Amino acid sequence: MNTRMRLQHSTISRVYPVQLANRYLTSRIIPLIAVAAVALCVALVVIVVSVMSGFLDMLRASGRTLMGDVVISYPIRGIPWYEQLIDTIEKLPEAQAATPLIDTYGLVRMPYPEGSEKEVVTANVWGIEPQSFNRVTDFSKALYWKPPITPEAAAAMLPDDPRLKLSQNILNDGLDLMKSATGEPGLVLGMHVSIANERMRDGSYRPRYQWFMPRQSVTLTLVPISAKGTIAEPRERVFPVVNEFKSGVYQIDKNRVMISLSEAQKLLRMDAGTLYDMQAPPNADGSLPVLGTSPAKVHKVLVRAKPGVTPDQLQAAVFSAYEKFAFDISQDPSKAVKAPRVESMTILTWEQHLRDLIAPVEKEREMMRILFSIVYLVCAGLVLSIFWAIVQEKTRDVGILRSVGSSRLGILWIFLQYGLVIGAIGGLFGVGLGWLVIHYINFIHETIGQDAPAWSYMASFCIALVSLAMCVRGAMTGVLLSTLLWLVLGITLAIVGAGLMLHRGTLIWDPSVYYFATIPDQVDWFTAISTWFGAVIFSVLGASIPAAKAADIHPVRALRYE
Amino acid sequence: MSKFLLEAKNLRKTYTLGRVKVPVLRGASFTLAQGEWVAILGSSGSGKSTLLHLLGLLDECDADSGGVWFDGNPVADLKFSARNSYRNQSVGFVFQFYHLLPELSVLENALLPNMVNAGMGWASKRAQAQQHATELLDAFGLSHRLTHKPAELSGGERQRVAIARALANQPRVLLADEPTGNLDTKTGGEILDLIAAKHRKGLSIAMVTHDPAVAARADRVVKLVDGCVAG
Repeated sequence: MNTRMRLQHSTISRVYPVQLANRYLTSRIIPLIAVAAVALCVALVVIVVSVMSGFLDMLRASGRTLMGDVVISYPIRGIPWYEQLIDTIEKLPEAQAATPLIDTYGLVRMPYPEGSEKEVVTANVWGIEPQSFNRVTDFSKALYWKPPITPEAAAAMLPDDPRLKLSQNILNDGLDLMKSATGEPGLVLGMHVSIANERMRDGSYRPRYQWFMPRQSVTLTLVPISAKGTIAEPRERVFPVVNEFKSGVYQIDKNRVMISLSEAQKLLRMDAGTLYDMQAPPNADGSLPVLGTSPAKVHKVLVRAKPGVTPDQLQAAVFSAYEKFAFDISQDPSKAVKAPRVESMTILTWEQHLRDLIAPVEKEREMMRILFSIVYLVCAGLVLSIFWAIVQEKTRDVGILRSVGSSRLGILWIFLQYGLVIGAIGGLFGVGLGWLVIHYINFIHETIGQDAPAWSYMASFCIALVSLAMCVRGAMTGVLLSTLLWLVLGITLAIVGAGLMLHRGTLIWDPSVYYFATIPDQVDWFTAISTWFGAVIFSVLGASIPAAKAADIHPVRALRYE
Repeated sequence: MSKFLLEAKNLRKTYTLGRVKVPVLRGASFTLAQGEWVAILGSSGSGKSTLLHLLGLLDECDADSGGVWFDGNPVADLKFSARNSYRNQSVGFVFQFYHLLPELSVLENALLPNMVNAGMGWASKRAQAQQHATELLDAFGLSHRLTHKPAELSGGERQRVAIARALANQPRVLLADEPTGNLDTKTGGEILDLIAAKHRKGLSIAMVTHDPAVAARADRVVKLVDGCVAG
């Protein structure tokens, strides 16, 4: 082949950059530092956003489970003729079930401590019809004290779990809100309303001392409020506790108690009665003339959608159904009490109903996502600075490669590929680390929440002592680097040991702030994958500047580089 | 067609160091015939390395004036890819300080020009290239060092690897810049023997040196003084 032909028909390999990048990666420690830095950045984003997303998902799932899909509200005065409304709604093709609800606040006098001075707590009291409520909200699943259904479920429980010894009666009593042995109306407490339940590491509960609440009674006091908004004489009643429920939302489990709808209506004077004409003159026997029947009322009606029907579709159907219901009542001369007009009602989907709760969490998550996206820049900056140092170190190699015919693009590709691999591997390790932390986050949290075991700080102190001894040995032999490294290790371990010794358990995830008793432990895979891509892209971007610098190096200057 | 394989005419080159302009070549001319060994002799700063870099297109900034011809063709007008190809296949460089890649083994260093040249078909060309490189290294007495890293070799061994690398693509010209400058006399002599052996097989050589004894091994000596060819 003549010279001109040889000059024109040359193909520069795209293979050697791969091989060189591979050698650079595997023969030096700097790339490992870059991989570790990228991994930590990615893990940070994955952990934070996964916890926030899990938190939001739990909030949504719990909200829907507890409220059904659509909530009709008319607080204080209550919705009259609600049975007819529920009949109308349940005939809708979109609705699966509907249930009435009294939603008020009261005082619960607990059975503890011993003596006459009992503890009193404020509570959100729900009056429910257990059967229909169960159809709308999976109430039976929320009841905590019940025997395991299957042998597998029994095997999964710890041997000392009191639920293993329970009979089916306790579940039935909870579902009926009635003490079957005596026929008394019962009350179901939220799991954290009393101080009696101690949460174990596996998430199960043990009663403290003798305070197994389903064997106790509490006194509930409710304050009726008239239609004019005035407070009437408080009413109280002793209820045997028939079960406790665990929704998973700490705020609810800490505050809510449930009694039967009829008992709640009686205590609040919202049950059915006779309606007297207060304006007319009294009858001959002194009684007031009767206008008709005063119907029982409820504050809310919860509706569950049929499978495949969205809450928005159900909301529209319920709205129309209520309009028809209110019109029918208004046209019925036998009903002296009319239903409020639809404009006065609040008909919301569960998500709209919990908007005040969900919206700030959504905003918080997005804010976290944006703030932690700065991590990408950190990633790029780290890769850039590390690569800058690598290119400085490899300047002569660039000259050598150019002298054997390597193109500038070939040089560029070596370092870009270097960044690509560091981003990809670092990102993968980061996602793995994030998954590991998220998977064991509750265990980690509980461990942090306890005092450090004695062996941990003793071991730290022992290794610190050995390190300091090595430091002295290094100083005596005059090796500065090893002296310094042992000294840093010794001091660090001594500080860690002191920290562990002084550690008295830190509650990071406060359930009263974050609603849930456990930290979400599912990885947000969308975030994980997008963060991995982000890490790769920003690592390549970070590598591109030093790579371009390397490609621009003049071959002669590169060869003379000292 | 030119009677010279490599020819430089009236090369002028000035470097700028800060605000100071330093003329390095002041109209130097050079010729190298096919199969000829020419030594470029000169003291430090005489411009001999600059001349060699311009001959090998290693200096991407061409001469301020004058030109270089390879096999009768001007090389100054070549595009980037053709310049890379020229450095890869037409000439081979040997440097005073060996300039081996520390991460690669002896064999991989010797294969580097082949790898750069092979394109995506490296897998199919690898066996042949590896055989050629192994034969070269064997001929240079390095068959027992193929998997060693440059750091594990002596100075003489490193320079032999560098020569093997320069000859990997069987270039027509070897451009050697003080190839024995960093070696003791005995080892330097061995290296010159290797080069001489290749020269006897037809390799054209342009060798920069400041040592008259080394220059004496060449067919012809060109003396460079203050950027001009003397005499």
